[in-house]
Amino acid sequence: MEPKIKIRSITREKIEEDFLASIFGKFFIEVTSLAFFTMRFFKEVLKPPYEFNELLKQSFLIGYKSFPLVGITGFIIGLVFTIQTRPTLDKFGAVSMLPAMVAVSLIREIGPVITGLIFAGKVGSGIGAELSSMKVTEQIDAMQVSGTNPFKFLVVTRVLAATMMLPLLAVLADAVGLLGSFIGVNLRGSVSASFFFLQVFQSLTFSDLLPAIVKTFFFGFAIGLIGCYKGYCANTGTEGVGKAANSAVVFASLLVFLIDMIAVQITSLYQY
Amino acid sequence: MKKETSNKIKLGIFISIGMMVFIVGIYFIGEGKQLFRKTFRVSGIFKDVGGLQPGNNVRLSGVNVGTVDNIMIVSDTSVRVEILFDETVRKFIMKDAVASIGSEGLIGNKTIIMYPGTGGKKEIENNDIVQTVPPLGVDDFMISLKKTIDNTTNITSDLSKVTENIRSGKGTIGRLLMDQSMDQNFDSTVANLKEGSAGFKILMDKANDIDEILTSLKTTIDNTSSITSNVSKITDSIHSGKGTIGMLLMDSTMRQNIDSTVVNLKKSSAELKTLMEKAKDSWMLWGF
Repeated sequence: MEPKIKIRSITREKIEEDFLASIFGKFFIEVTSLAFFTMRFFKEVLKPPYEFNELLKQSFLIGYKSFPLVGITGFIIGLVFTIQTRPTLDKFGAVSMLPAMVAVSLIREIGPVITGLIFAGKVGSGIGAELSSMKVTEQIDAMQVSGTNPFKFLVVTRVLAATMMLPLLAVLADAVGLLGSFIGVNLRGSVSASFFFLQVFQSLTFSDLLPAIVKTFFFGFAIGLIGCYKGYCANTGTEGVGKAANSAVVFASLLVFLIDMIAVQITSLYQY
Repeated sequence: MKKETSNKIKLGIFISIGMMVFIVGIYFIGEGKQLFRKTFRVSGIFKDVGGLQPGNNVRLSGVNVGTVDNIMIVSDTSVRVEILFDETVRKFIMKDAVASIGSEGLIGNKTIIMYPGTGGKKEIENNDIVQTVPPLGVDDFMISLKKTIDNTTNITSDLSKVTENIRSGKGTIGRLLMDQSMDQNFDSTVANLKEGSAGFKILMDKANDIDEILTSLKTTIDNTSSITSNVSKITDSIHSGKGTIGMLLMDSTMRQNIDSTVVNLKKSSAELKTLMEKAKDSWMLWGF
C-alpha cells in the first residue's frame, strides 16, 4: 500500500508541473513569437516594393466597411450614456452640465475604446479568419512560391490599414456619438444644436482630444497585428481557422484595454 | 476595375469626411481657447489665485472675452497671471481696469472677472499690468458663514427663552397670551370700552352743551389767571421786602428787632416771675 501512495503523489505533482510548464511555456513562446512577428513587420514596412493598391483595398474594407457598425454603436452609446447620466446630474441640479460631461467622457474614453472593441470584433476576427484560412489552404505558401512576399502583401497592408483607419473611425464615432447625445438631451429637455455644441467645445481641450486620437493609432496597430499574427501562424486544419479568429478577437480586445490603461497613465502625467 | 475605382472614391470620401470632422473639432476647441483669433496679452499680480488654471475663462460683463494663458509664482506672496484677450474687446478695457478671481458656479471652474475701468481713460495696451482684487475664497466664505451661524444660534437661543417665558406666562406678552385672568380683564376692558364708547356717543350727541361748559371753563381759567397774577405780585412784594409779611420774612433789621424783643420779653417775664414770688411772701397779700 505504501509504495502505491508514493507513486500516486509523484504522478500528480508531475502532472501539475507539466500543466504549469505547458501554460507558462505556451505563453512565453507566444510572446516571443509575437515579438519576432512585430519586428518583421517593422522590417518589411520600410522595405520596397510598397503594396499601395492592396493598402487602399484593405483600407476600404477595414475602414469604410466598418463605419456603419461603428457609427451605429457610437450613436447608441452617445444616446444611452446621456439618458443614463441625466438622473445622476439631476440629483445635483447640474443637468445643464450634461453636454459637457458627456462630451468629455465620450471623446476621452468611451468613443475610442468602444470603437476599438467593435473594430477588434469585426476586423480582428476577419483578418484572423482570412489569413488562417489562407494558411490552412496553403495559399500563403503558394504566394511565396510565386515570388510574392506574403508578409508584405497580407500582413503589412492590413496592419497599416487598421492603424490608419481606426483613428478616423474613432473621430467619426465621436461625432456621431455627440449627435446621439444631442438627441438624448432633447428627449427630456430642449436645447438648441448651437448651444449644445457650444457647451461641448467649451468643455473640451486639446488634452482631451489629442491623446484620445493618438491612442487609437496604437489600438488599430494592435488589432491589425494580432489579427494577422493569429491568422498567419494558425495551425493547419479547419479547426485552426476558428481558433485563430476567436483568439484574435479575445487577445485584441484585451490589448485594447491594456493600451488604454497605459495611455491614461501617460496622459495623466502631464494633464492637470 | 470600375468597382475598384469606385471603392477608392468611397475610401477617399470617407477619409476626407473623417479628417474634416477632426479639423472642425480642433478648430472649435481652439476657437474656445482664443487660438485662432487676434489677441493681446495683459498681466495681473495676485496674492492668491485660489486654484485658477491656464485655460480658464476671462469674463467682462458676464461674457467670455479671453482665457488665462499662463500662471507663474513670482515670489512667496505674488502670483503673476497672464491673460489673453480677444482684440475686439480692447476698446472696453481701460488702463484702470481691475481683475478679480471668481467662480463659474458653485462647483464650476475658476474664472477671472474683469471690471472695465472708468470711461475717459486710455485703452489698455499690450503687456500692461492691471490692478487686482484679492478673491473671496471658500475659506473666507466659510468664516463669514460661521459668524452668521453663531449669530443665528444666539438669536434662536434668545428666541427660545422668549417663547419659553411667553409659554409660562411671564412678561406682558406672556400674560397677555397665556394668563386667563388677563383674558378676563381684557374682556371686561373691552366691555368697558364699549360702554365708554356708548357714553362718548351720548356725549357727542350732547355736543351743544359743551360750548357752555367751555365758556364757563374759559371764565374759570381767566379768573385763575388773574389770581395767579396777583399771587405773583404778592410774592414779588414779599421777595422785595415790602409790606408786613415781606419785612417780616426778608428784612434783616426786623429780624434783629424781633430777636431783641423776644429777649426782652424773656427777661421781663423772668423779672415778673421773681416779683410775683416776692409779692406772695408779702403780708399785704396774705389770704390771696
